[in-house]
Amino acid sequence: MSISRKIICLLGMLFVVLPAFGLATESPNEMAGTGYFRDQDTQPGVLEFYRQLPGGENGLWGMGPKRKVIRRSSFNKDAHNGVADFSPEVRCQKCHIPQTKDLHGLRMGITCVQCHRSQPVAGVYHYYSALNPIRRHAYVCAKCHDGATPSFASYMVHEPNPVASETRSTFPLFYYAVWVMLILAVGVFVFFLPYTALWWIREFIVKLKGRSNHG
Amino acid sequence: MVKERTRLKRFTPVHRLWHLGLILIFMTLSVTGIAWMYFETPWGRGLANLFGGYLNVLEIHRIAGLIMMAGFTLHILYMIYRIDWKGFPGSLLGPDTLVFQWVDVKGFFAHLGWIFGLNKLPRFDRWSWWEKFDYWAVWWGLIIVGITGLMLYNPVLTSDYMPGWMLNVALWVHRIEAVLAMGHIFTIHFTVEHWRPSSFPFNAAMFDGTIALEEARHEHPEWVARLDKNGRLNEALVSPPPVPLRILYFLFGYSIIFLGLFLLVFAIANAALLTLF
Repeated sequence: MSISRKIICLLGMLFVVLPAFGLATESPNEMAGTGYFRDQDTQPGVLEFYRQLPGGENGLWGMGPKRKVIRRSSFNKDAHNGVADFSPEVRCQKCHIPQTKDLHGLRMGITCVQCHRSQPVAGVYHYYSALNPIRRHAYVCAKCHDGATPSFASYMVHEPNPVASETRSTFPLFYYAVWVMLILAVGVFVFFLPYTALWWIREFIVKLKGRSNHG
Repeated sequence: MVKERTRLKRFTPVHRLWHLGLILIFMTLSVTGIAWMYFETPWGRGLANLFGGYLNVLEIHRIAGLIMMAGFTLHILYMIYRIDWKGFPGSLLGPDTLVFQWVDVKGFFAHLGWIFGLNKLPRFDRWSWWEKFDYWAVWWGLIIVGITGLMLYNPVLTSDYMPGWMLNVALWVHRIEAVLAMGHIFTIHFTVEHWRPSSFPFNAAMFDGTIALEEARHEHPEWVARLDKNGRLNEALVSPPPVPLRILYFLFGYSIIFLGLFLLVFAIANAALLTLF
């Protein structure tokens, strides 16, 4: 095949074949997750299944959020079962302070029960929980975000502190990306602010002396 | 009365138009972005209310962002068109391009030495190292803030192509780059271009497209010498813009500067009220 033909074929692939792929198939993230509860959700070892969902631990070279510690109570019908001092009258903020410091609550005024539902609050992995990863997108996220998918639902509403050292193992990409950006930003200011100040002073001195004896 | 041709052409109408457009879009994005970032504070809500609440602020921010990316795309096309492809890649080097070269490293150290009084002010050509830095900083800023901004434009659509938790990453990267860009413009860029004793109170070069020949001989002596040697100095000389236009440039420039300072001062004053994590 001559070179010009090869180029035409390549261009053809770009303009014909690639868009056709885009039209013909839904992205895997769109297809996964029916929103309905399935038999496997009642089986032991269901956590492994959740880990395979889009946005789970295997995406993007394992740089995403990792659920290192999962409490047994996350599988309970009542997550607060057996918690000392718990009573339905206690405000969530009494114990869950870090969970109140995110955009959903602070900027949009979303309250805990709008996602976690009312008493008894089910553990997020309980197979009937609205927040169970197989239906979270449909039962919770899509209330405001039309068309939310399981991948979309892997957004961390209660995001960790990106600069904290724990985040390096629990959400590596978040940790590294924020640190790189911080170093870039702080680096620019640490260099340019004193530089500009000294430059200003130098010109001021030159001005005082008069331009004539300036180099 | 024939006005004396005391000024040197420095920027073409296209450069000036793009810089003006960049100012308007950048300030729109700054005000709406800060309003949203500070939405939990009374000041941020007040800013958002000027635009009719957070939904409008976000919508304006998104549209302004798209316009900025369109402007950036046009600039890249313009740049591709302007490159001298016959002499490529050698044509990328030389005193008239904004590409960083060895001379800029030398220029940087010579300028640093001048600040500390160790040597004479280096004889810069058409573009000094900090002017090149300012130009490329917009590139890196627009690439970072643009990609993350497009990701955040429609989060549900974005999460069809990547895990949804990439939005956590995108928002923080977008935020830090935006704070870096605003902080740089409202302090360093304003100081270097307008408040240095040699430029104070206002340097209109990017607005009227000219620089005083005297100033050029001082800040860009190699450039003037090169024009003179090639016999192109005379054709590059123009008379000063009319006074009303100069007043307009000054008033426009200072309204933008004051808007920037307003955002800077109140953003710092309210920073302690922000909950970041």
